[in-house]
Amino acid sequence: MLLPLAWLKEYVELDASTDEIVAKLATLGFPVDSVERRPQCSGVVVGKLVKVEKHPNADRLQICTVEIGESRPLVIATAAANVAQGQVVPVAKIGAQLVGLKIEARKMRGIDSQGMLVSANELGFDAEWFEDGILILEDDAPIGADFIAHAGLNDDVIDVEITANRVDAMCLIGIARELAVAFKAALRLPETAIEHYAGDSSDVTVRLESPDCKHFVAQRVDGLAVRPATATMRLRLTLAGQRPINNLVDISNYVMLETGQPLHFYDVTKLAERTIVVRDAREGEVIRTLDGEQRTLSPKILVIADGKGAQGIAGIMGGATSEVDGRTASILIEAATFDGPRVRRGGIALGLRTDASARHEKGLPIALAELGAARAARLLASEGGAVQAPRKYGQDVPAPRTVQLPKSEVTRLLGVTISDREVDEALTRLGFFVNSEGAAYTIAIPLWRDDVKMEADVVEEIARAVGYERIEAVVPHIAVTEIPSDAYDLEGRIARAAAAAYREIVTFALQPAAIRTKYENAGVALPRKPLEIANPLSEDQRFMRFSIVPAILELAARELHELPLRVFELGHVFGDAQPAPDEIAMLAWALVAGPRSEPVWHDTDFLTFKGEAEAIVREVTGMMPQSVAAECAELHPGKTAALQIDGRAVALIGALDPRLIAAFGVEANVYAGFMPLAGVPAHRLPKYVSPSRFPGVTRDLALLVAPAVTAADVETAIRATLDGIARKVRVFDEYRGPQIAADKKSLAVSLLLQRDDATMTDAEADARIQAVLDALKEKLGATIRS
Amino acid sequence: MSELTQQLSALAARLDEALKAVGDEKGLEELRIAYLGRNGEVTAVRRQIGTLPAAERPAAGKTINDAVGLMEAQFERAEAALRSKALAASLEQSIDVTFPGTSPLRGSIHPIRRTINDACRYFERHGFAVVLGNEIETGYHNFDALNIPPDHPAREGLDSFYVRPDLVLRTHTSPMQIRTMQSYPPPVAIVVPGKAFRRDAVDARHSYMFHQIEGLMIGEGIHFGHLKGMLQGMCRELFGPRQAVRFRPSFFPFTEPSAEVDTTCPACSGSGGACRTCGGSGWIEIGGSGMVHPDVLREVKYDPSRVSGWAFGMGIERIAMVRHDMDDIRAFFENEPGFLEQLA
Repeated sequence: MLLPLAWLKEYVELDASTDEIVAKLATLGFPVDSVERRPQCSGVVVGKLVKVEKHPNADRLQICTVEIGESRPLVIATAAANVAQGQVVPVAKIGAQLVGLKIEARKMRGIDSQGMLVSANELGFDAEWFEDGILILEDDAPIGADFIAHAGLNDDVIDVEITANRVDAMCLIGIARELAVAFKAALRLPETAIEHYAGDSSDVTVRLESPDCKHFVAQRVDGLAVRPATATMRLRLTLAGQRPINNLVDISNYVMLETGQPLHFYDVTKLAERTIVVRDAREGEVIRTLDGEQRTLSPKILVIADGKGAQGIAGIMGGATSEVDGRTASILIEAATFDGPRVRRGGIALGLRTDASARHEKGLPIALAELGAARAARLLASEGGAVQAPRKYGQDVPAPRTVQLPKSEVTRLLGVTISDREVDEALTRLGFFVNSEGAAYTIAIPLWRDDVKMEADVVEEIARAVGYERIEAVVPHIAVTEIPSDAYDLEGRIARAAAAAYREIVTFALQPAAIRTKYENAGVALPRKPLEIANPLSEDQRFMRFSIVPAILELAARELHELPLRVFELGHVFGDAQPAPDEIAMLAWALVAGPRSEPVWHDTDFLTFKGEAEAIVREVTGMMPQSVAAECAELHPGKTAALQIDGRAVALIGALDPRLIAAFGVEANVYAGFMPLAGVPAHRLPKYVSPSRFPGVTRDLALLVAPAVTAADVETAIRATLDGIARKVRVFDEYRGPQIAADKKSLAVSLLLQRDDATMTDAEADARIQAVLDALKEKLGATIRS
Repeated sequence: MSELTQQLSALAARLDEALKAVGDEKGLEELRIAYLGRNGEVTAVRRQIGTLPAAERPAAGKTINDAVGLMEAQFERAEAALRSKALAASLEQSIDVTFPGTSPLRGSIHPIRRTINDACRYFERHGFAVVLGNEIETGYHNFDALNIPPDHPAREGLDSFYVRPDLVLRTHTSPMQIRTMQSYPPPVAIVVPGKAFRRDAVDARHSYMFHQIEGLMIGEGIHFGHLKGMLQGMCRELFGPRQAVRFRPSFFPFTEPSAEVDTTCPACSGSGGACRTCGGSGWIEIGGSGMVHPDVLREVKYDPSRVSGWAFGMGIERIAMVRHDMDDIRAFFENEPGFLEQLA
């Protein structure tokens, strides 16, 4: 909310600097987003045009005699077309500083011009929002006064943030009230008194047909003339971001900014049957709103109607039919209180949010409607209006609520002791009534503070008023309920293990539909059914990610110059399932490696990736996994392994499906692994087995087997034959090629034979190896390679 | 007999000369074989024992053995001399120690995780559990139980993504406050790091996906000052030992009183001026906090007249950006190898 400080100071006496005000507002809970420093002007006074004549030598110039309260009037030539005798205008004297313009004495077609009549634009205002030519001031502006000071044009404008609970502070008076407390200054409320009423506003009938209109003040004003508002009001509205329209519209906006109560003025003559009905809109009812839009309504929307149809959308925007126009002389002021959520829902349904609805939807107090109407009536009276007495409909203004606050609560919640005197003083300035007799404070809540409902709310008000800096930093020492941190500990262990060789990445959890299409076009099955976002902000966020692979492939496509690339992500993937969507925490990691030229039966990078994967599983579980061929969506059907512990897959690893790699435009080999956290067994501490004291025998075997025989088959068969004495069995090389038969492959195996109770002799080793060879031949058809 | 002695002493003298000429271990070994080996010089001398009268043989044997002992000592001395010469030579060597080292294969933790871990470590030291939660939450846990009914204006700032009519991507980590309090009796103390989502356009300062760390402590006698104390401690862990914490009043539906939390700007140590990080205020805003609202305590069947406590929520990216002197939140999610390498 934009707050012109000069305007604000009308309600509270402040001699603090802008910076001090900004700092104070922050400590009160109203952070200032920005400060607009206004251009600094000087030397402009209020002058009256006592004579306006045509310039003798120039058709387009006029010579003005300007009374500025000094012994002799000034003679000023002007080219402005809108000047007339008797007007009061801002006058820049010789030496005056305007925006980008310094005023000097000059001759205009032979006449000495002793200054300049000033337009709004020359004072730093948008020319489009003001009359062409000279800014015309109100007739009663003080002649000779310093206009810059009078209108407060050099004062800064601050943009302050108001939290959702403080609708009372969405106005100048609200902020002034807070600053009055902080600076211990007096609050000055604006004039509302009307000397005598010209009637009782009874010739318009008002019916409230919905309980969501809690209160409605109707007040008639006649004898008005539509014209520009006073310059002071127009300048203030402009600084506050409101475009001036005419005196009547401006008054309604001015009162909203001043008091926080949105108003609507109806042209009484345009109200069919002189009737106002607040009711639900009819299905399909149509209204043209003030912004010129044609809107079709539904019963969800609360409207203000006359005898014929909707004349306004309650709390949001008025209608065009009963709008004030240039001929309006009689108006009906509407100052109403609506149910906040009802206004909010209506605004959402219509996609319409206004300054009025931003206030109404937070729920305004009933008392404010009365203040708003009274203030508008007073301003309309000063525009020459004949004001009738207000008529009030709906609920009465409630009596102030009271809250009992045990004194011990203040210390219990804040941790500091605050004296009765401080509590009393702080709250009283904010408009609360405090009775501090006894063990509890009895506190009457001001009518504008609907947000203060219970003890804790009052404690916050006390803390705010005495200053949050009073809270002392204390480290608590209490024994708490034991709550496990298992999931976090597991994530930490996994991240540490993966980070030994892989870089952690964090990618977006939402994906565009195009990702899914890429899979489908490539003929690759989706690992999970994509879960759709009902209300995405953009097409990029249409689905929850069903996999982390796409993000890795996109990164790889971007960073192909960085190969080999090793990355991991520890995050959630999602699937559409019933009754509830799947949300799976998992580790996904990948090695992106450049192409190699090697035989189809060998994949060096796969083995590298597998070795690193085993190290990760080992680090996370404390156990070395076994690998078996497996299948997994997104992975190559012939290059996928499950890493198992106790026969259960902990991770699936493999080369990515080459169709997927191609679909993402990655020209590299990509190996990926997936480890769902839910399947990770508890970490097992390894037990120590002391090494044998007796020497062992190492033997290497070169075996010829059919290509389908796996390293694991060979290892299993060897171990089965040697039971306890095979201390190491490792297949360390594979060969296929011209030196052996075309339908065979050669596997080289290294064995360590060792006993715990005696030295392994060559003779025993020979016998054992022969047994191994026999078994391999029988089980796997293996022969020794000669 | 004396002939034998003469032969032996001549042999010893020759060996002495030969050892002087030897330059390495290999030469030494050859010499050892030549003199003391199975077919070496000494063996040739020993064979003469057979030609001696039987009575002289023992004495001759002893003489030879003594001589062998002396020769072995000669070899030892020569070996020691060679070794110390080699050591002296190796001390003479020098290399270009500024030549770049060979980098090990090393991964890294993302700066977001690092920041989360650093914050959690502080709370774990003070007995807090670290709990995680799902990113898809029920409207009840994300809003209603936290005192944010459907038409509450505060829902506006928490504009959320829906996956089912009553399932949202959590807009904050606060739902875990509710889940924890509903599962465990007071006193409880937890922190909750994790992702949250709001329908925000992505720019240098905003991202629709971001990380938070939530804190919650409820028990008898837990007050606002304890919140300030713990947050000050956390800021010291994250930014340095002289951090101060400042509270400013604010509004959150699930806390009362509520406070925005500022900490001393680590970039300028609070001096402000032309500091780019804090815009000259000397403070940076790191999150929201407050005393848990009595309605929230009642919702989870805690008795607000008996227990009290606080909660906070901090933006991890904001903290990490200040720690690493970054100015664009998008860098966290772009994962440029250069970025990850720098912050590894």
